[in-house]
Amino acid sequence: MQNGFPSVDHRKTRRLLALFQVVIALVFAVLLVTFWNFQVGQHTRFLEMAENNHQRTLALRAPRGVVFDRAGRVLVENRYSLNISLVREQVEDLDRSIRLLALVTGIDEQAVRDVVDRHRTAPAYRPIVIIRDVSLAQVASVTARKLELPGVVVEQIPTRYYPTGTLAAHSFGYVGEITDTQLAETNSEGLRTGTIVGQSGVEQSYNNLLMGADGTRHVVVNSVGREIETIGEAVPVEGQQIQLTLDYDLQKATEDAFALAGYAGAAVVLDPKSGDVLSLVSLPAYNPNAFALGIDHNTWNNLNTNKLNPLQNRALQGRYSPGSTFKLVMAVAALEEGVADPDFKVNCRGGGSFYGRFFRCHTTHGIVAMDEAIEKSCNTYFYTLGSLLDIDQINKWATAFGLGELSGIDLPHEVQGLMPSTAWKQERHGERWYPGETISVSIGQGQVSVTPISLAVMMATAANGGTRVTPRLLKAVNDGSGWIPVPVTPPRSVAGLQPETVDTLHRGLWMVVNREGTGRRGRILGRDVMGKTGTAQVISLRGREAVGETDLDLRDHGWFVFAAPKDDPQIAGVVFAEHAEHGYLAAPVARHVMETYFAKQEGRLLPTLPLPSRPPEIVSVAEVDNP
Amino acid sequence: MFERRLYIYIDWALLAAIVLLSVIGLVMIFSATYDPTTDQVGTQFSRQLWALAIGLVALAVCLTIDYRVLADNSLLFYGILIALLTYTLVFGEEVGGAKRWIGLGPVNLQPSEFARIVMALVLATFYAQSQSGLRTVSDWVLGGVFVVLPFVLIAREPDLGTAVTLLPACLAIMVFAGLRLRFLAAIAVAAVLIAPVVWAYGLEDYQRTRIASFVEPEQDPRGAGYQQIQARITVGSGGLTGRGFLQGTQSQYNFLPVAHNDFIFSVLAEEQGFLGVLFTLGLYLFVILRSLDAARVAKDRTGTYLVVGIMAGFAFQAIYNVTMSAGLVPVKGLTLPLISYGGSSIIATLMGFGLILNVRMRRFTN
Repeated sequence: MQNGFPSVDHRKTRRLLALFQVVIALVFAVLLVTFWNFQVGQHTRFLEMAENNHQRTLALRAPRGVVFDRAGRVLVENRYSLNISLVREQVEDLDRSIRLLALVTGIDEQAVRDVVDRHRTAPAYRPIVIIRDVSLAQVASVTARKLELPGVVVEQIPTRYYPTGTLAAHSFGYVGEITDTQLAETNSEGLRTGTIVGQSGVEQSYNNLLMGADGTRHVVVNSVGREIETIGEAVPVEGQQIQLTLDYDLQKATEDAFALAGYAGAAVVLDPKSGDVLSLVSLPAYNPNAFALGIDHNTWNNLNTNKLNPLQNRALQGRYSPGSTFKLVMAVAALEEGVADPDFKVNCRGGGSFYGRFFRCHTTHGIVAMDEAIEKSCNTYFYTLGSLLDIDQINKWATAFGLGELSGIDLPHEVQGLMPSTAWKQERHGERWYPGETISVSIGQGQVSVTPISLAVMMATAANGGTRVTPRLLKAVNDGSGWIPVPVTPPRSVAGLQPETVDTLHRGLWMVVNREGTGRRGRILGRDVMGKTGTAQVISLRGREAVGETDLDLRDHGWFVFAAPKDDPQIAGVVFAEHAEHGYLAAPVARHVMETYFAKQEGRLLPTLPLPSRPPEIVSVAEVDNP
Repeated sequence: MFERRLYIYIDWALLAAIVLLSVIGLVMIFSATYDPTTDQVGTQFSRQLWALAIGLVALAVCLTIDYRVLADNSLLFYGILIALLTYTLVFGEEVGGAKRWIGLGPVNLQPSEFARIVMALVLATFYAQSQSGLRTVSDWVLGGVFVVLPFVLIAREPDLGTAVTLLPACLAIMVFAGLRLRFLAAIAVAAVLIAPVVWAYGLEDYQRTRIASFVEPEQDPRGAGYQQIQARITVGSGGLTGRGFLQGTQSQYNFLPVAHNDFIFSVLAEEQGFLGVLFTLGLYLFVILRSLDAARVAKDRTGTYLVVGIMAGFAFQAIYNVTMSAGLVPVKGLTLPLISYGGSSIIATLMGFGLILNVRMRRFTN
């Protein structure tokens, strides 16, 4: 027994073994406590982490509602665009992936890096859109290097599409990712970063109808993010379809006529009975398709710094003096306030003295009655009416016709014009109103300023005999269960005009176009067009001398307000021709619109215009290629 | 050497516990390699089944030959081991930058897995031979030299994890052979002192990354710390009763790397819950304590030292792996003996138990 135990040695061994066993048992006890702590104590927390690990909720973007014109023609729709996105969770070497992706798609590496940086706080499993609306060639080159580009995916998403390009851009507006400010608003529930919302036009005012509801897909993914199965899906709900009161043909006719005339400007064409907006133009326009995919920096800068300000909707946001178009409000005020009757005559000797100052007329009209005064736009006649009325009476009737008021159109960001009054003067300048100021106001100068749409409302009110209609663009809504017409927006006010007031007014406006007046270029045989021209001074004579040589365009603007036919007006509106210098130069635009309207009504071939002799560069500033 | 009556002394309870753990291992390997998308099980399952069968035969062989005969030939085995390790280092199959396997047609042999048993046999024999309990310094140095050679060879593969498992076995035998615990403490102090030097010069980059990520796993959740976090999630999401066989989302959707190997216990914890953990750890504790009992009743010091050596390595590896499964220690390529996938590992482990049963069985023989 050479290897046998000496007894002392044996006892020591047994003690060591016992120690060994106790230590191991203790270690196992500690392990069990640890596992108990993880598996029972912190089970809820770890289970949640496990769920988050393998379950993903992916957003499915809902297509926005299609927009139709009043005849059912598609104005705004959706197309599917391809995006190249990056899922960081599946990327091992982000830096390398970015470099390779930029190389393969031929875009700037720094741009890719910026996009990724901007989204660094978003969950790593959510795809970050790197390039929007990629070409098929780019898709092919990315797909070909799929193995080298893990986590790079091609997504197909519905994208807003405006098939008519710049047409009616300001009415449609545009869409874009929701801004942080919008997110902070209280009614933004259910919206999150990256949601596409309307940012202007009907896209904005009817965003709630158009937006629909994004869907979600609940999927199980494995550790490399590959989808194993779908365990739940909420199908995206397409936005509601809406029908606008706009008439595509009239809209196009208006813009075509503008292009031929070569002016920037605005036009609003209404149905004077209902307030339906048949055409609404602001030029130059932008191409809303440029926004649909997220506008790029250069285009956005160009739109914002452009001197012609294409983003501004002149029809609602431009404020100009009404010039002679204001005279029809003066006529109504005088007749209704009883300071003059239709036969009231004034002898025009090239102007007149009021409150110690001489006010000029363009020429010597001799003795004129009210209808002739309107026809010839005789300043002396309306100065005289202004001396018989006080400013608050004028204000009352201007307001009844919508001047200095918001029209209430269903578009965002409408700007209010200004119709002065004694109260206004007191509040604004702390001074009383001087009667001499009323004389300037009576020919639409001085403090009065109007937006084109308010002049369109004025003309519609004049045409329909005193009902101040509310312009509206939304005609009907289809939530999927059929079209439901939207009731006409109630008029803002109804003035009970005496029949002879309307009669005189209509006769005078008819004579402007059909006799010796300034609106002859708006005449259409057999249509009894009514109209009135006006000139909006950009700067006063004295101001012009003070400015001297300047790059600014200081030429006056031209107005033409119109309605037809005289006995039962069906169409009314305004054309505002920027820097046209004369109102009569705006009249041909109105005539083409009305001709188109009547041709369409009678089912005749629509009138055509000769092509503009020079390229209408002011028509569109942000032209993008239509995809 | 072959005596029929010896078989009544076989520790059937220990053997049953060992086989039960191996079966649990098979079931867990099935789950960990199951692919829910294709409804198929990995080839690892059948390979492990074969390895288990071979291992049981090897166990029987190790049981049958008197351990004293084996001890007498321990230097021969040592020579074979060194030869195989050297061969591996030169001609081994290179996988992932490491040469750990010798290719043998359809199967691979991992010689380092057998090093622990051979070392236990060699050191047990070596220290049992000295007549007195008194040791000279040269005894410790010589014992150390025996260890250093295979340690360096394995560490050079490189497979530091497996190399390190040699140490507890050798230290345990030395302690039982009379190495003073005070001396061990001195070694520990020395280790702490040279740790910075090792950190700077002795470790590969990937080893440094592993240790760094252990200290702060959230620093790099997609890199090395990822495994630790995922291991904790896997274990914690199991709850009391587990998520059910093949129902663990962490293991089924591959959130754990090498789930059938390093992290097999995490899979068990996820799918079988705390109750499964309790049962399995209970079996392990039983196996270890019962085996150490064989050391107590052993006929001679060779037997005692052999059992202690084998068990120290086994216990160290089991405890380390279970701790790692809960994300509590740095991830090392250390398998859970009996349960983790690995043919060489299970065969070597079963051979080790063959020797332990051998020692116990022959406690009355001369």
